[in-house]
This record gives sequence, C-alpha cells and structure tokens, in this order.
Amino acid sequence: MATQTDSVDLVGDEVTANIARAALFAALMGGFAYVSFPNPLAVGVPVTLQVLGVFLAGIMLGPVWGAVAMILYLAAGAVGAPVFSGGAAGLGFLIGSPTLGYLWSYPIAAAVIGLVVHRGVDIRDYAAVSMPILVGAMVAGTTIIYAIGTIGFAVVQSVSLYEAFLISAVAFIPFEALKIAAAVGIIKSDAIAAA
Amino acid sequence: MIGYRSGQTLFHRLDPRSKLLFQIAFAVVAFAYTTPRGLVALTLVAAVVALAASISVRQTLWSVRFLFPFLLGAPLIASLSVFPLEFTPADAVEPALSSYRIVLIFIVSAAYVRTTPIRDSRAAIQRTIPGKPGALLGVGVSLVFRYLPILRTELLSIRDAEAARLGSERPLRSRIELFTTAAVRRSFAHADRLSLALSTRCFAWNPTLPRLVFTKLDIPILLLSIVFLSLPVVLR
Repeated sequence: MATQTDSVDLVGDEVTANIARAALFAALMGGFAYVSFPNPLAVGVPVTLQVLGVFLAGIMLGPVWGAVAMILYLAAGAVGAPVFSGGAAGLGFLIGSPTLGYLWSYPIAAAVIGLVVHRGVDIRDYAAVSMPILVGAMVAGTTIIYAIGTIGFAVVQSVSLYEAFLISAVAFIPFEALKIAAAVGIIKSDAIAAA
Repeated sequence: MIGYRSGQTLFHRLDPRSKLLFQIAFAVVAFAYTTPRGLVALTLVAAVVALAASISVRQTLWSVRFLFPFLLGAPLIASLSVFPLEFTPADAVEPALSSYRIVLIFIVSAAYVRTTPIRDSRAAIQRTIPGKPGALLGVGVSLVFRYLPILRTELLSIRDAEAARLGSERPLRSRIELFTTAAVRRSFAHADRLSLALSTRCFAWNPTLPRLVFTKLDIPILLLSIVFLSLPVVLR
C-alpha cells in the first residue's frame, strides 16, 4: 500500500449522491448491452436500449452528471467491464472499433440533451419540461450520435461517409423515434417521480 | 467472454499504465501503416502479445462477433455500385485491410482485459489523471464493475417477469417503456442506498490505493510503445 500522510478529504453529500447516480446509470447502460428486443422490421437487427440510456442520462442527471455517467460507462468498458454490445470489453472499442464514433458521441449527446432540457447546467424538474423541448433535445441528441458515429465508421473502415451511413445507421434510425416516444412516457410517468 | 483472470503470465506482471500506453501506441501505428506489409508485421506483434498474455484468439473474436456484420459489410458495400450495377473488387481492398486492422487492435486490447484486475486499473486511472477528476473516474469505474452483475441480473428478471405476464405481446414502444421504467427505478434505488452507505463510511477524495511500480519488465514494452508512437512522425 502507498502511504498517504495528508488528512482525509471527505466528499460532500450532494456530490456523493451524484457520483452514486452517475455510476449506477453507467452500470445500467452496461446492463442494457444484455437486453435487446426483437425488431419487427428486420429480424437480424435487434433493437437495443443504449441510445435510450443516453437520452435518459441527459434528462434525468442533467448535462454535467449525465455526461459523467457516459464517461464512466466508456472508461469501465475500456478497462474490462463487459458493457459493450454483447458483453464485450476493451480499450479497442474506443480506439479501433468501427463503432467508436457512436461510443464517443454518448457523453456529448447526453450533455447537449441535458443543456437543452435544463436550460443550463443547473438541474430543474424535468417532468415539468414541455413536450416540444424534450422531443427537440432528443432529436438533437440523436443527430449528434449518428453524425459522429457515421464519421467514425467512415474513418475506421476506410469507406465514404455515404457508405458508412448506409451500413451503420440506416437500419437503426427508424427505432430512435420509438425510443424518443418511450423516453417521453418514462419521464412523464409517476413511477419514477415517486421513486 | 474475455474478462480478468488471475495468473502469472508476463502480461500479468506488467504495470497497467505500460499496458494502456502500449494499446494506444499499437492502434496509432496500425492506423498509420494499414498496408499489407505493415499489417503482417503487426500480426506478428499481436501474436506475441496473445502468447505473452495467454489469451485465446478464437475467444477474443467470439467476444466481438457483433461487429462482424460491419467488418465484412464495409468491404462489400465499398466494392458495389448501384448505378450502373457493378462489382469492383479493387475498391474492397482498403476497407478489408481496415477490418483486419480492427481485429488486431482487439486482440491487443483483450490482453489488457484478461490480465489486469479492476483494482490495478483504478489505481492506474487515478495516478495518471491528477486531482478530483481522476478520483471521480477511478471510484466511478470500480462502482460500475461492482454493480454491473447486480443490474444485469435484475434487468433479465424484469424481462422474464414481463414475458410471464404476456408483456411480450404488447407493442414494442410500450414494452421498452415498461422495461426501462422498472430498470431506472431499480438503479436509482441502488444509488440512494449506495450514497447513504458511502457518506456513513467517510467517502473521501484521497483513499489509499494499491501500490503500482514500474519494474524492469516494463522497460521493453515502454520502449516499444515509444517507437510505435514516433514511427508515423519520424518516417514521414
């Protein structure tokens, strides 16, 4: 053990609560890697919940802690937590995978969604936010995820942007509308507000 | 699935910081030299790494099988054009080399995952990133490791419970909504209990971390990383 002689520097209660929420949200994102829903349109492309997790992180934790939760998710996966698609792990996902753009876009998208919904870095009651702002924030988040994701795919796989978009985005985008609708339902539901 | 296993291989005895740097250096050189000759040389390096960490290449490939449609699809789609319908194999070469490069990067990163316990990774993070951001990242990452198995079990039981009540017959949006609502509630309940427990146990910014030391064993891998990182700069 490395000996430390400086006195204990306690973490404040509010920050402790935020760290716990961010870490649990990151673990939830990891858990989403194990659950997928059958796709009614294309059998081979299951619907996963990762992007829904990004939406909810930005809305429920706010721009700062939502982005922190996404960074924790990426960092834990990089050092070996089995949190990436199908329970995979490794720094390779962040520095060499064709999906690296999608992964790196998560903290940015969560921060942008949080900034739009909370109108700044201070958290306000997200259940009271109007529907157009919620939907607009999530549409902006989706755009960021697919833009950075497509660019990342094109660079890593040495294909054109158009080809990257065809192969990595087209089959998935229709379901983002479904996830935005689900997110609105989750946010407006009393079940979470009561928790 | 590739995960940490205790052992005495060469890679187990290296400092986690050397292994992290080496992965980045390997990726940099792989991106800079995605040529047949460059990839043959890097294949040899990756083979040595796989041996030194005693990881199974087949298991590593299986763990990233969800990426195969992309790895195989990219060269295919690059070689096809629709108007006029044509197949140009030459256009597939570069994307195919890129796909192969990705596989090599995954093998090297699997060596880290297999040989590094989370305690060491946390210490490496906190010693590399100074101050509170490093401490936050370190503690957060170890909490993710701690809670992932719990949440995974809970998520699968939520899904089973939903199916048992014929929830699987509902439309997709409603299934996702019900499932995620239950999942988020569980996570926040865990988070509330965790933050109370952390506060009562003097959760601090400066906990005592396991000792990390660079040894003689780290010298070759650090030198190789420096060579890899400087190759693209020096040779251009």
